[in-house]
Amino acid sequence: MAATQQEARSCARTPKRTNMASFNSNEWRAICDKFTNAQNLTEIESRNDPENDPFRSKYKARELLREIYCSLKNFEAGEGEEEGGGESGDQRPTEQPVDGQREDLFGQGFSGDSPAGLRAAKLGAVEYYLGVNHVDTEELPAGQEHLMNCMKLLERCRVSSLNVSLFIHVRNQLGILWAGRDETETAQGFLETAESIYQRYMKEDGSPPTDMTEYFAAEESLLTHQERIKRFELAYTHTMYYLAQVYKNLGQTERAATYCHTTLQRQLQLNQFTPMEWALNAATLSQYYITKGRYMEGRHCLSAATVISDLAGEVPSEAESERREHLRQKRAEIARCWIKYCLNLLQDAKKQLEDNIGELDTDRQEELKRARRREEEEEEKGRKSALLFGSEDTFDSIASIEEKAKDYFQMDGYVTDHIEILQDHSALFRSLAFFEEDLERRCKMHKRRVDMLEPICNDLNAQYYLMIRRQLMFELAETYNEMMDLKLALANRQADTQSLDNHTIKKFNHLCSASAKYFQMFLDSLCSPEGKFPERLEEEVLRPALVARFRVARLHSRFISTSPTVQLDNLNKSLENYKYVVQYCEANPEAGATVETELELSKEMAGLLPLKINRLKARMASNN
Amino acid sequence: MAGASVKVAVRVRPFNSREIGRNAKCVIQMQGNTTCISNPKQPKDGAKNFTFDYSYWSHTTPDDPGFTSQTQVYKDIGEEMLLHAFEGYNVCIFAYGQTGAGKSYTMMGKQEPGQEGIIPQLCEDLFQRTGENTDPDLTYSVEVSYMEIYCERVRDLLNPKSQGTLRVREHPILGPYVEDLSKLAVTGFTDIRDLMDAGNKARTVAATNMNETSSRSHAVFTIVFTQKRRDQMTSLDTEKVSKISLVDLAGSERADSSGAKGMRLKEGANINKSLTTLGKVISALAEMQSSKKRKSDFIPYRDSVLTWLLKENLGGNSRTAMIAALSPADINYEETLSTLRYADRAKQIRCNAVINEDPNAKLIRELKAEVERLRNLLFSQGLQELLDNAVNNNNNINNGPGGVAGASPSPLQLALTSNGITPENGPAPPGAEPVSEGDTPADPDQLIEDGEEREEGESTENISKEEAAERLMETEKIIAELNETWEEKLRKTESIRLERESLLVEMGVSIKEDGGTLGVFSPKGTPHLVNLNEDPLMSECLLYYIKEGVTRVGQQDVDIKLSGQFIKEIHCVFVSETNEQGEAARKSVSGGHSGAVSRSRDLR
Repeated sequence: MAATQQEARSCARTPKRTNMASFNSNEWRAICDKFTNAQNLTEIESRNDPENDPFRSKYKARELLREIYCSLKNFEAGEGEEEGGGESGDQRPTEQPVDGQREDLFGQGFSGDSPAGLRAAKLGAVEYYLGVNHVDTEELPAGQEHLMNCMKLLERCRVSSLNVSLFIHVRNQLGILWAGRDETETAQGFLETAESIYQRYMKEDGSPPTDMTEYFAAEESLLTHQERIKRFELAYTHTMYYLAQVYKNLGQTERAATYCHTTLQRQLQLNQFTPMEWALNAATLSQYYITKGRYMEGRHCLSAATVISDLAGEVPSEAESERREHLRQKRAEIARCWIKYCLNLLQDAKKQLEDNIGELDTDRQEELKRARRREEEEEEKGRKSALLFGSEDTFDSIASIEEKAKDYFQMDGYVTDHIEILQDHSALFRSLAFFEEDLERRCKMHKRRVDMLEPICNDLNAQYYLMIRRQLMFELAETYNEMMDLKLALANRQADTQSLDNHTIKKFNHLCSASAKYFQMFLDSLCSPEGKFPERLEEEVLRPALVARFRVARLHSRFISTSPTVQLDNLNKSLENYKYVVQYCEANPEAGATVETELELSKEMAGLLPLKINRLKARMASNN
Repeated sequence: MAGASVKVAVRVRPFNSREIGRNAKCVIQMQGNTTCISNPKQPKDGAKNFTFDYSYWSHTTPDDPGFTSQTQVYKDIGEEMLLHAFEGYNVCIFAYGQTGAGKSYTMMGKQEPGQEGIIPQLCEDLFQRTGENTDPDLTYSVEVSYMEIYCERVRDLLNPKSQGTLRVREHPILGPYVEDLSKLAVTGFTDIRDLMDAGNKARTVAATNMNETSSRSHAVFTIVFTQKRRDQMTSLDTEKVSKISLVDLAGSERADSSGAKGMRLKEGANINKSLTTLGKVISALAEMQSSKKRKSDFIPYRDSVLTWLLKENLGGNSRTAMIAALSPADINYEETLSTLRYADRAKQIRCNAVINEDPNAKLIRELKAEVERLRNLLFSQGLQELLDNAVNNNNNINNGPGGVAGASPSPLQLALTSNGITPENGPAPPGAEPVSEGDTPADPDQLIEDGEEREEGESTENISKEEAAERLMETEKIIAELNETWEEKLRKTESIRLERESLLVEMGVSIKEDGGTLGVFSPKGTPHLVNLNEDPLMSECLLYYIKEGVTRVGQQDVDIKLSGQFIKEIHCVFVSETNEQGEAARKSVSGGHSGAVSRSRDLR
C-alpha cells in the first residue's frame, strides 16, 4: 500500500489530468513503447550487465515501469473524476489479504472485461512487473508490496479471460517469495489458489486468455490464440512445479511426486521440453516410485522415458564426440533405471513369497502361480534390459572383461559404474533363481553370477577399489555357498538312496572351499598394511566380519573327506572361527547385539565341537 | 581401514579491513571443539552450536592463548595426512568456505616465516622426510598435477597445450584418473611451489578471459608420491603409490551476481524458479525416499565430476580431512551458517559401502539342527561313558541311539542326514580327496556342465572399430606413461614449463629472469599492471610490465594481450616517459576489463 501511495504522490501531475481522461493514441503508443523497452531491458539486456553493476538494465526497466505506472495512475485519476468518485472511494479498508481464505474470485467484483476491470488489470500488471523487478534485484520487501498491490487491484475484479493470466502469475511470484523465506505454508496458500483459479477458469470459460504483455501492445501486435494458450499453460506448469517443491519442502513426498509427474506430463503435452532431459527426469521419477513399491507408475515413467529418449534421435557418428557420448550416457542411465525397476520388482515379489527361511513357501502355491505369470514377463524384460544395457553402453560393456578383449578393453573409463551394473545383473539372477524350480537351472544362474563377478573381483586394484572388492568377495562367497547347497540337493534328489559319487563330492568340496576362500579374502581385506587383523572392527564391517567368521566356521565343518586327519584339521579350523566370534563378542559386548543368533550358535558350537574333535581323535587313536 | 569418517575442522579468521571499516561484529564463538554462531538480526534466538574435530580460533592475534597458528593447523591435520601418505593411503584435504573467508590463507598462507599454509608445510615436510632417507634400496619420486573443475569441465592448469576439457575415467588397475592430465615430475618443494603458482596463473587467465568466477570452480592439486623399494635378493621393485589431493571446493556464496539465481547453496525451503531445475527437484525427491527405505535405486548424476571426485576420496581406502573457513563478520552470517551446516554434514559422510548379506536363515536352521544332534550325542556319550568308562577307544558309533550319531565321516553325515541319506549306506569312496582351502578352483565348466552361450560374448561384437581403436589408443597411452623413466618425466616437465612460459610471455605477462613466476614480485623500478580478483588467491597473480615508450593493450598485435568479452582490439595504450625523478606511467583510453580490472600502479 505504502509503495503505491508513495508512487502515486511522486507521479508528476501532468497537464494531462485536466485534459480528457483518455489517452490519445500518441500517448498510448508512448506507453506501449516504454513497456516494450522495459521488457527488453529485463529479459535481454540484463544478461549482459557487467558484474560490478549487475542490475543496471533492471534498474532502467524499473524506471520505465514507474513512468508507465504514473501515466496510468494520472489517467485513472482523471477518469475517476469524470466518473464521479471512482473506485478509489469505495475501496475497502483492506487488511492483508491472505490467499486461500478469500471470497469467491469468480462471482464478485466488477467484470474483468469492463473498462474499470481493464484499468485495474493494467495497473495490476505494472505492479506485477514492478514486483518481479524488485524481487529480481533483491529488494524483497518492496517486491512483496508491489505484488500485494497487484493482488488488491485484482481483488476487485472477477476472473475473466482478460485477467486470469495475471491472477496466476502474481500468485506464482508470491509463492516463490514466501517459500524463499521459509514460510512454506504461506507459499502453499498462494500456489494452491492459483491452481484452483486455473481449474475453475478452464472449466467455466476456457477461452484463450489475454497475456499481460498484450495490455500494452498495439492492436496489430496482439498474440494469436495459440500463443496465448501456450503462455497461459506455461504459467500453470510453473504453478505445478512450484507446488511440487512446496510439498517436497513440507515433507509430503507423495504429493510432490504427483506434481512432478504432472509437470512432466504438461511439458510433454505443451511440447515444451528437451527430449533427453525430459526422459532422464522421467526415469529419475521412476526411481521414486519403485522405492515406494509403486511399480505401475514406475514402469509408466520408464516406458515414457525410453520413448522420449528416442526422440533425441540417433546421433550421427560425425557429431562431436562430446555430444555423442553425452547422449549415450543418458541412454545408459535410463537403462540402469530399468534394471533397478526389474530388480526391485523381483526382490519384492520374492520377499512376499518367501517363508521364514528364505525358501519358497508351498502354502503360497496358488499365489505363486499368479505371480509367476507376472514374473515371467518381468524376467524377460529384465533380461532384455540387461542385454540392452550391454549393447547400448559399450563403455560399460561386459565384453571388456572377456578373455581376448581383456588386454585392450579393460581400460574402461567407468569402473565403479560398470561394476554396479554387474552387481545389479548378478542380483537379478539371484532373484530369478528364486523363482526357478529346476535346481540345475537354478545352479546355472548362480554360476553366471560367479562368472560375472569373479574376474573383476580378482583384477581390480585392491587399493582403489577396496570397498567394491569387499562387496564382491562377500557376494561371491555367498554365491558359492548357494551353489554348494544346490549341488548337494541335486545329488541327493538324483541319487536318492545311493551314496554321493566321487565326482559330486569333488564338486561339493570345490564349491565349499571357494566359498570359504572368498569369505577369508574378505576378512583379509580388513587387515592393516602390515597384515594384522584389527583388534577392534570398524562399525561398518563389524557384522559382515563376524558373519564371515561364522560362515567360514560352518563351511569348514562341511568338507567331505574320508581322511580322519583332514577331518580333524577342518574341525579345528571350524572351532577356531566359532571361538573367534564368541571371544570377540566377550571382549566387545556391544558387538553381540549385531550378531545375536550367530553368536548364540557359535557359543553352542564352540562348546560342542571339542567333543566331536575328541571323539575323532579317539577313533584315530583306536585305528592306529 | 574402512569407514574412517572425514575429519572436519573449521577456522575463523580475523576481521579484514573492510569489516573493520564497517564496524562489523563477530558472530562466532568457540569453546573447545565447539563452534557457536549467533544471528545478528535475531539475537534473542538461541545461538547455534556445532561440534567438529577441531574448531580453530584464529580471529585474534597470536598473543591470545586461544589463538590457533598456521603451524598448529598443520600439526593437527597436515602432518597426520602426510603420515598416512607414507603408509600408502590416499589422502585428501578439502577446503571449503565463502570466498574471502580465509580458505587460501589456511591452505596456502603467506610466504613469510610462520605464515605458510598447510600445502607448503606439507610439501616441505614431505621433502624433508624423503631427504632424510639413508636406505639405498628405498627411493622416492614425486609428481604433481593441477586441474580445475568448472561447470562439469575439467581443465589442466599446468599444460598450456591442453585445450578443451579432459575426461574423468577409472581404470580397473590404475584406479581413477583424468585422461591426458599432465603429471609433472618434481624434485623439491620449490618446484611444487612454482607449479602451483603457474597453475594459479592459468586459472586466473582463464577465469578472466571467459568471465568466469573462481568461486564456482573447484581446483584440485594432486601430489603423486611413489615409494619404491628394491629387494636385493630378488632384484624386484615393489612400489607403494599414494595420492595427496588438495581440493579447493567452490565457494558457498551466491555464485553469480549478474542475475543467475538459484546458485546459492542455501538449504531450506527455496523454490527453484526455472523448469530446467526440475531434474534436481526430482532427484532430491527420489533421494529423500531412498534414504528411508533400503531399496536399490539409480539416480542419474547431476554433478558427475564432483561426484567422481568425492567418490575417489571418500570411497574407501583413503583418509580425508575437510577445513571450512569461516568469516567472523555479522554481515556474512547467512553464508557462514551455511558453511557450518555444510561442514556438519561432511562429518556424517562415511563411506557407505554396505556389505549386503544374503539372509542366512537357512544356514542357521541347519546349524541349529546340528547343535541338537551334537547335544544328543553328548548326552548319549555321557551315558555311555558312565556305563563303560574304559571302552572309550572301542566306541561303537555306528550303533548310536536313534541312528543319529556317527563321527565317520562326520561332516558328510552332518551334511546329509537331513536329506535322508546316511553315510553308513555307502561310505564315501576312497578316491574323494579333500580340497584344501588354498586350491585354485578347478575349471568351473567342468563342475557345472554349462553349455549356455554367454550374453556377454555378444556385446563384444557391438564395439565398433572406431571405438576399438579409441580404446587401443587409450591403453597405449597408459602403457607409455607407465614405461616412462624418471629422466623422461623430468624432460617432459621442463618442456611443458617452457611452453607455459612462452605463452605467458606472449600475453605480456612478466616472468622472473630465472623463469620463476611465483607470486607477486613487485619490481621496484618498473611500472607495471597487476590483475585484481575477488579471490585473493587469484588476485595480483598476473603481472604485466609497462616498458619505456609505448605499451599497447588489447586483443591483437599488442604488447599486452588480454582476451575477453569487453576487451577491445586495441584496448588502451600506456606511454611511459622517463624524467629526472623517475618514471611515470600514464594511462590512456579506459575501458572496463570485466572480472579482473587491471589497475595500473603508478610509481611514486
